[in-house]
Amino acid sequence: MALQRQGLNLLRRISIHGTTFTNRTDVRSYKRWVAPTLKELNIRTKKIGDTGEVKPTPRSSFLEWNYDAEVFAFGKRLGEEFNQDLLRKALMHKSYVNLQELQGNAVQSDGNTDLIKKGEDIISKYIQLELSKKYPDVIVQAIHNYLTDDNMLSHVGVHIGLKDIILTPEYPPETATIANTFKAVVAALEESSSLENCEKFVKDFVLAQLNGKEVFDIWEPEQPYKYLKGIKSDIEPRLCNQSAAKTILANYQVGIYSNKQLLGLGWGESVDVAKDMAALNVIQKIYNIK
Amino acid sequence: MSNSHLLMKAGFITSPAQNGVGRYVCQLQRVVLKFCKNNGSSRGVRDFIESDLVNFAKDHPGVVVYLKPRRHRGPVIVAEYLNGEKQHVYCRNFTSEVVSKWLTLLKNQQGNHEGMRLRKMWHTDHPSIQGPWTPYTFREPSLNLAEFPNDKLSSPASLEPSATDRLIEAFKKQQLKELE
Repeated sequence: MALQRQGLNLLRRISIHGTTFTNRTDVRSYKRWVAPTLKELNIRTKKIGDTGEVKPTPRSSFLEWNYDAEVFAFGKRLGEEFNQDLLRKALMHKSYVNLQELQGNAVQSDGNTDLIKKGEDIISKYIQLELSKKYPDVIVQAIHNYLTDDNMLSHVGVHIGLKDIILTPEYPPETATIANTFKAVVAALEESSSLENCEKFVKDFVLAQLNGKEVFDIWEPEQPYKYLKGIKSDIEPRLCNQSAAKTILANYQVGIYSNKQLLGLGWGESVDVAKDMAALNVIQKIYNIK
Repeated sequence: MSNSHLLMKAGFITSPAQNGVGRYVCQLQRVVLKFCKNNGSSRGVRDFIESDLVNFAKDHPGVVVYLKPRRHRGPVIVAEYLNGEKQHVYCRNFTSEVVSKWLTLLKNQQGNHEGMRLRKMWHTDHPSIQGPWTPYTFREPSLNLAEFPNDKLSSPASLEPSATDRLIEAFKKQQLKELE
């Protein structure tokens, strides 16, 4: 709003007073931010056009596009030796094959449906195997779901360069489509080289996404104290410290004991919160979560 | 920050999708060299294409290289990154060495870096290692054994003498002086 007013003021000054810029009662000085902002707004308006939305153009519709080179570079970029036919099969979705058949074009492959299924199994199995070396089943399941979620796999897929080379009627490809293609590529890699190589690939691209994440970012019991009671029944919460009770800065520290041994501490603005925080602390220690 | 930076993208330096944690993936996915076959301003780009481009493509099989000759237009390198960003480098009158240097830069960076304002010169994901402060952090250990009610702990930490105290003290001093 302010921007429009400023722009109008500028216009008014120019149109009413013409070339005489002597009357400056309404604006004290030239605002230096106006020009860059208007320029940027102009650029963005042009980009949007009349439709009001930015329509992405498929990269494959450009004149400089060579699908063979793109597929070759995809494998090389990842440092893997792919069987080119298998890789092409992995990138071709059933919907694309159907569309081509409708249009009367001959297509060699019948889509990547079976590769998707196979890739999903490989990823799932390997992640569970790796995580179960360190974490209990609940956490393994939670992290596994987090990593094999469509959003996560499509994030990985986009960042290895799948987005432009997927063969599918929709553009831009949907999250689920990219995730499925990633699974199919994993299966293609397994068939091209070996399972061991393929697992390394999954480790480097999918498991690596856990970097910088804590387990409690991904998994947290809803009622920590109740959960802790379930895995360790002989616990006893004790109020260790309190400060500024009945004020806005109230703070309580609760310790959880078992057989007169302090297991963990937690604090919060009320005793219940502090108890749950202490339970989380204990769970962290029991499960060896770092 | 000047006014030309107002609408500039701002952020921290990050690596896309944990690149390099597992293995390094070159983020430059394709590069298009646009040039004119006749015009002198494209001379350096043409030289580069003749002498070094094949080696560049051999060394970096993960980068797709396109050549796009077009008449009477200035030479441009368009770099496309895996995160969807594009960077244009105008190479008018560049020598082939300079073109090579720009291409190396485009290959090594992870996205379009022109026009990004760094919000801060440093960044950390873990601002505190010891955790948030609580009233019990760094507390005097002797308090663990104190018995309450405790007169010493109940009184203020520093108690200034009151006006009455000072009067009494002055009176006592006066009495001492009189005795001497």
